[in-house]
Amino acid sequence: MTAATLRRYAPFAVGSLQSLLRYRSMFLINALTATTAVGVQVALWRAVYAGGGLPGGYDLPRLTTYVLLAQVLALFQSNRVDEEVAGEVQRGDIAVSLLRPVSYPLARFAAGLPVSLTNATLVAVPVVVLYALSLPLSAPSPEGVLLFGCSAVLSLVIGFGVNLLVGLAGFVTTNIWGVRVVKDSVVAFFAGQVVPLALMPGPLAAVARALPFQGMVDGPLRLLLGRYHGPLGAAAILGVQLAWAAALSGLAALAWRGAVRRVEVLGG
Amino acid sequence: MIVAENLVKEFKVLERRPGLLGSLGTLFSREYRVVRAVAGVSFELPAGVKAAYIGANGAGKSTTIKMLTGIMRPTSGRCLVNGLEPYRERRRTAAGIGVVFGQRSQLWWDLPVPDSFRILRRIHEIPDPVYRRNMARYRQLLDLDALGSTPVRQLSLGQRMRAEVAASLLHDPAVVFLDEPTVGLDLVLKEAVRELVNQVNAELGTTVLLTSHDIGDITAICDQVLVVNHGEVVHQGTMHELLRTADTRAVVFEYRDGPTPEQAVALVEDRLDGASAGRIDGGRIKVEYPARRWSVRQVMGFLLEHFDLTDCVAPEPDLETVLRRIYARRAGTREVPV
Repeated sequence: MTAATLRRYAPFAVGSLQSLLRYRSMFLINALTATTAVGVQVALWRAVYAGGGLPGGYDLPRLTTYVLLAQVLALFQSNRVDEEVAGEVQRGDIAVSLLRPVSYPLARFAAGLPVSLTNATLVAVPVVVLYALSLPLSAPSPEGVLLFGCSAVLSLVIGFGVNLLVGLAGFVTTNIWGVRVVKDSVVAFFAGQVVPLALMPGPLAAVARALPFQGMVDGPLRLLLGRYHGPLGAAAILGVQLAWAAALSGLAALAWRGAVRRVEVLGG
Repeated sequence: MIVAENLVKEFKVLERRPGLLGSLGTLFSREYRVVRAVAGVSFELPAGVKAAYIGANGAGKSTTIKMLTGIMRPTSGRCLVNGLEPYRERRRTAAGIGVVFGQRSQLWWDLPVPDSFRILRRIHEIPDPVYRRNMARYRQLLDLDALGSTPVRQLSLGQRMRAEVAASLLHDPAVVFLDEPTVGLDLVLKEAVRELVNQVNAELGTTVLLTSHDIGDITAICDQVLVVNHGEVVHQGTMHELLRTADTRAVVFEYRDGPTPEQAVALVEDRLDGASAGRIDGGRIKVEYPARRWSVRQVMGFLLEHFDLTDCVAPEPDLETVLRRIYARRAGTREVPV
């Protein structure tokens, strides 16, 4: 990305950040939701572990870490792109967006970034600190953290691609709310946000591995927790993520081109 | 510069059958009807003109503007704006045009107006001197500072429209499309917006294409008029030429002594075949006569001969009447409101 492109799309990020900071209560609610979700899941897993055993090779501190950071990644990927795009399509404001001399998907990506980053800092950091102080967690290795960082960036692109595609569904159906509810649960499940892929029954795990969503939570956390075989194993996880990020971006670009041709049906 | 060549836009509209059974039916079989919103529009506007695009509701104005701005793709035909085909080169076209859609906002909903302007400045990469010059102009004419730090979503329609017009001109576009730019504005602000558009046109040679239901906007801004009806251009020319197509003219006069007003009216109607006369305020009499039957000279001569005139004016035919006649002529007998 050249400096000129950056200059042109940065204003969308700034504008989005400025708008976002006006809604303080949203962050508070996100923090409460995330805290509760982690609390419930940890309590559940503690009950499972109380019966003994080491499911999928995860001990309790590792699984707690997984559950906690899965929530952080989910926050990181909640960029609101799906609802923003679908909303614009439904209100017809998409017409105005088409009058700006920029690429709409890129502008949307730029506007989604601050949402991800503020969620990650303002919401995720306090939640992680809270649980780190109150529960035994497993400390990751330095290379784990580094790999996790790269992987998290790729997961951001995957999350963006998925949300943009869902948002563009607004051109086809007016019931985008239903599509989003389904998307949220499908993504959460197959990403491994609820249960790590390693703990899923064989066939289900196979399906999850074949989908792009595992690159959003399970992939990054396997890297963080060292659950891969050697450098090649780590590279494979990142490679698959990269491939999905590219594929989804391409798909979103295609969908966008198709969608622009449909603008006519919205009239107004 | 704007060129339209045989521009056609057709929509497929889902045919809904009436009643519950009909609604159930549409679940299983769908029939589409093709609606021709724009039926072969052709025109050419040289750079720097201020043209009004006039038509009754549903005449295809908005659809044409959407094709000219690159939002919609024509079914057939083509158009050029600044030498570009807008729907093929949307982003390059967008850099050189400004648009106000009365009902839609190009501002950032949650931000104060100045913040939106700062963002637009960077998106369009507006050079500093241009930005400063334009902002000074808007401050002076539109009193933009009065909008303060209120987020756009809390502004009144009038406050927002001021900012919308300014935003559309911020990057010195070569062509600006104004769709109902004075909706919700009071008289003073309407005047200010018209003044702004005229000033920008005079100084920068900005081409203006305006659609409005406000005849005042059209007469205050436009020197060219395109009248569309049923998706076709039915008149293109200067405002003056359009007004001259009026088939009735009027004269208003005042006189002293002589016949009573009733007698005067009767005399006029009796001697000027096809004319109608009536008393209007202040004891004056208005004569409307068919332009084809009588020349101005004949009518004036008649009045001079029979009355001791103290005042006499021949008002320009008003646009509303002319338009109503054009629409009505095309639609058969039905009179369409402007």
